[in-house]
Amino acid sequence: MTVDQLFNWLNTLVPAMENSGLLLVVAILIPCLALFLVVAVNAIVMVYAERKVSAFMQDRMGPMGQGVGLHAGKWGLLQTVADALKLLTKEDIIPEKADKFLFILAPFVIFIGAFVAIIAVPFGETVIVADFNIGIFYILAMGSLGVIGLILAGWSSNNKWSLYGGMRSAAQIVSYEIPAGLSLIVVIMLTETLSMQGIIQYQEGGMFNWIIFSNPFAFVAFFIYFISVVAETNRTPFDIPEAESELVGGFHTEYSGMRWSFFFLSEYANMLVVSAVGAAGFLGGWHSPIPGYFDSNGWGVFWMLSKIVFLIFVMMWFRWTFPRLRVDQLMNICWKVFLPISLINIFGVGFWTLIFG
Amino acid sequence: MGVVHGEEMVLNIGPQHPSTHGVLRLKVKTDGEIISEITPVIGYLHRCFEKHCENVTYDQVIPYTDRCDYLAAMANNFGYVVAVEELMELKVPEKVEYIRVIMAEFQRIASHLLALGVYGLDIGAFTPFLFMLRDRERILDMFEMTCGARLLYNYMWVGGVSHDLPKGFVETAFQFLDYFEPQIEEYNNLLTHNKIFVERTADIGVLPPEVAISYGVSGPNLRASGVQWDLRRNSPYSIYDKFEFDVPVGDGGKGTLGDCWDRYYVRMLEVRESVKILRQALAQMPKDGDVHQALPKKIRPPKGSIYSRTETPRGDLGFYIESDGSPIPSRVKMRSPAFTALAVLGELAGGWMMSDVISILGSLDIVLGEIDR
Amino acid sequence: MSADQERLIAELVEKGLAGEMDEINAIEDRVLRGKVKAALAKAKRAAKAAAPKEEKLVEESPTDAPPSENPHQKFGKMIEDKFPGSLAAGLNDTHIQLKPNNWFEIAKWLKSEPTLHFDSLQCHTGMDVGENMLEARYNLHSMTHDHYIEIRIAVSRDNAKIPSTEQIWRIGDWFERETYDMLGIHFEGHRDHRRMLLPEDWEGYPLRKDYEVQETYHGIVVPKVKEGWE
Repeated sequence: MTVDQLFNWLNTLVPAMENSGLLLVVAILIPCLALFLVVAVNAIVMVYAERKVSAFMQDRMGPMGQGVGLHAGKWGLLQTVADALKLLTKEDIIPEKADKFLFILAPFVIFIGAFVAIIAVPFGETVIVADFNIGIFYILAMGSLGVIGLILAGWSSNNKWSLYGGMRSAAQIVSYEIPAGLSLIVVIMLTETLSMQGIIQYQEGGMFNWIIFSNPFAFVAFFIYFISVVAETNRTPFDIPEAESELVGGFHTEYSGMRWSFFFLSEYANMLVVSAVGAAGFLGGWHSPIPGYFDSNGWGVFWMLSKIVFLIFVMMWFRWTFPRLRVDQLMNICWKVFLPISLINIFGVGFWTLIFG
Repeated sequence: MGVVHGEEMVLNIGPQHPSTHGVLRLKVKTDGEIISEITPVIGYLHRCFEKHCENVTYDQVIPYTDRCDYLAAMANNFGYVVAVEELMELKVPEKVEYIRVIMAEFQRIASHLLALGVYGLDIGAFTPFLFMLRDRERILDMFEMTCGARLLYNYMWVGGVSHDLPKGFVETAFQFLDYFEPQIEEYNNLLTHNKIFVERTADIGVLPPEVAISYGVSGPNLRASGVQWDLRRNSPYSIYDKFEFDVPVGDGGKGTLGDCWDRYYVRMLEVRESVKILRQALAQMPKDGDVHQALPKKIRPPKGSIYSRTETPRGDLGFYIESDGSPIPSRVKMRSPAFTALAVLGELAGGWMMSDVISILGSLDIVLGEIDR
Repeated sequence: MSADQERLIAELVEKGLAGEMDEINAIEDRVLRGKVKAALAKAKRAAKAAAPKEEKLVEESPTDAPPSENPHQKFGKMIEDKFPGSLAAGLNDTHIQLKPNNWFEIAKWLKSEPTLHFDSLQCHTGMDVGENMLEARYNLHSMTHDHYIEIRIAVSRDNAKIPSTEQIWRIGDWFERETYDMLGIHFEGHRDHRRMLLPEDWEGYPLRKDYEVQETYHGIVVPKVKEGWE
């Protein structure tokens, strides 16, 4: 449901205020609120999931409460709530010699980058805030906004470790934008549209119509895209900007309490966005894998979410399995491996569509 | 390709840092990511071990040795009591020797497991660390079963050990070994041959054998440089001459001889050898015997000095003990393997990248308690 | 004590001296076992008291004695041959006592001479030996020949200076800094002569026997060792 539709619906609901500015504001605010809920719930679920996934991978139980109260709920379900409470009540420290304004600004910049991108993410055939005609381009653009926040955070902390983290993340994210973007160009070339819904609609008709299986170049492009976005979201094995054992905490070394948790909110929101783009761009979005079955509107949301969850799970799987790369190795992979392959992909897809399309 | 030189920055890694393995401070000169000079600054954990020793009796020194290398307390106990016994020319019963070897080898496995796991953690792999701690836990359980303590045991006494092995220890130990041996394969699959791990460790921090010897580097770090030197084999103390085991040396399997991966892998191989020794020792151990029978009433070594070495998980642990004939040692000097291993860091780590320094430091497997004493 | 028992004890002591402790340890009666052990210790002490005399005899006529296998004797003589007058005391079985003045050259030679090749400085430490003397001790080991010696160099407190071996055995760098830190022996020619474990502005050298803890350190009162704590 886009803002336009919501606005029209509100117009019919309150005819007295038809086409007034207030209704427009309401029509914009409602989806924003919903999105905020999505981001918050996403973070809560993902933090819990990450704890549990890591625990199961490491032969542990993870958070295991015995009931409501101080025990964080059954199976530790309330663990994230307890975490959030802890973070909210923690002292908010701003280092004396930090650049205060930028220090406070940085987490919000990162968060806004991740948050705003969700607007164009389709969760179902009708469940989307705004289906821009440049949707995928918009998401990429907003996704790279976060790096400004990371550099700000790293620089304003006035801490050498943070500076290292900030510089590393700048180099890393800017580099990995390129293969990720080039891989998405493959999608755009095939679908001939930038609209997210348009891309998904192109992939109708079962899993063999999905872009990932449409031709070998797109298959390769998916993996390049996925690995690049893992790097873009600073997840292991590409978490060098916050590399705990090297840089203490990287760009967020000096942050504490709620400000710190904003970094994590945005990290998880980012994961959601990039997984959604991956799911929509390559894995058929809200289409069912079997044509004609489970293809209703509600099932669409289910399919989209399960594809997103699967990709996020793979990211977690990476994180708890792999060691970390070194910064120069990371750059090598990006510039010497991914970039040439993605360029070849673009040509390949061009020829493929020329010959078979 | 031209190298761009920027302004150098002095960076302090530590004393509080997640991967300095204690309170170690590394004063590092960096040019961007490249480290040009590295100076370890130690002493943050100095607890006057040697001064304390001049004020307590010989047996009261043993708990202090626990606290030096707190990850291999049994091995430190062992090194000290062997030195004192050598000074006193005391012969201990065979059963005690077996118990000591069993404990020391279990300790070696436990210590290596921690070293390997933490090394994985330094490189960024979290899961192997917990896998290894899980198995180390079972060894600690066995120690607890034997002497009640899990980390600092004060188990080996001059002339004996504090407690006999409890009932069922041998069975538990065999059970553990049966369970543990296949686990080594799992670690290898998970971490040792992982492509990223190899990329991060092979060819990094190469320690040539001559440099290693000149710096007095010992134990797995020395063996990783291809020098076949193990005190258990080269000058056997206790009853190590009764067991069959190999001394694994580095072979540059994934890169250059003496790189970080070699140091890591030698430890992994040593764990296997310890299992071998343990199987033999547990099978051969005499069933009966009093572990207290050779305990001297009063420990009064004759006048003189001794330098005695044993092989701990970290390398040659030397105790230099000077006795003036009184029940209080005149001087106890602990030559700790981690001390020499850290000394070589400045030579090893210059010119590498920031991440490599952490990787090199981790591969040396230092324990600050032993360095600062 | 019956004569029977006495004879038994005598028998067991004899066995004990031969190294067969098992029989003694197997004695059920604790009193008897204690007696045997006491007698054994006495016998051992007597044997030891007798032993040094023989050693002295050997020392008095070194030229006639067959070449000793003890490395301290052997290498001590080699050092004396190569660097006449560098030995500070007679040869013995436990260590080689050297003078400090040409220690650097000796150390260099010890490492480079192929038949010696002491490539590893195993341990280095200092001692306060009393009588206003400090002593540095070097435990050298050869990885190739697998032989081992201990070298001692005594210096007086007022002029505690020993040439540094830091450039010969690289670990000497840290070992000597520690010895300097703890005992205040200066190592001449050391390129980084600082304290190792203690802070740079700490007063005194803790491992000297007459060491008195400084009262305060940067305004913090240094706790004294409690009386009678042993």
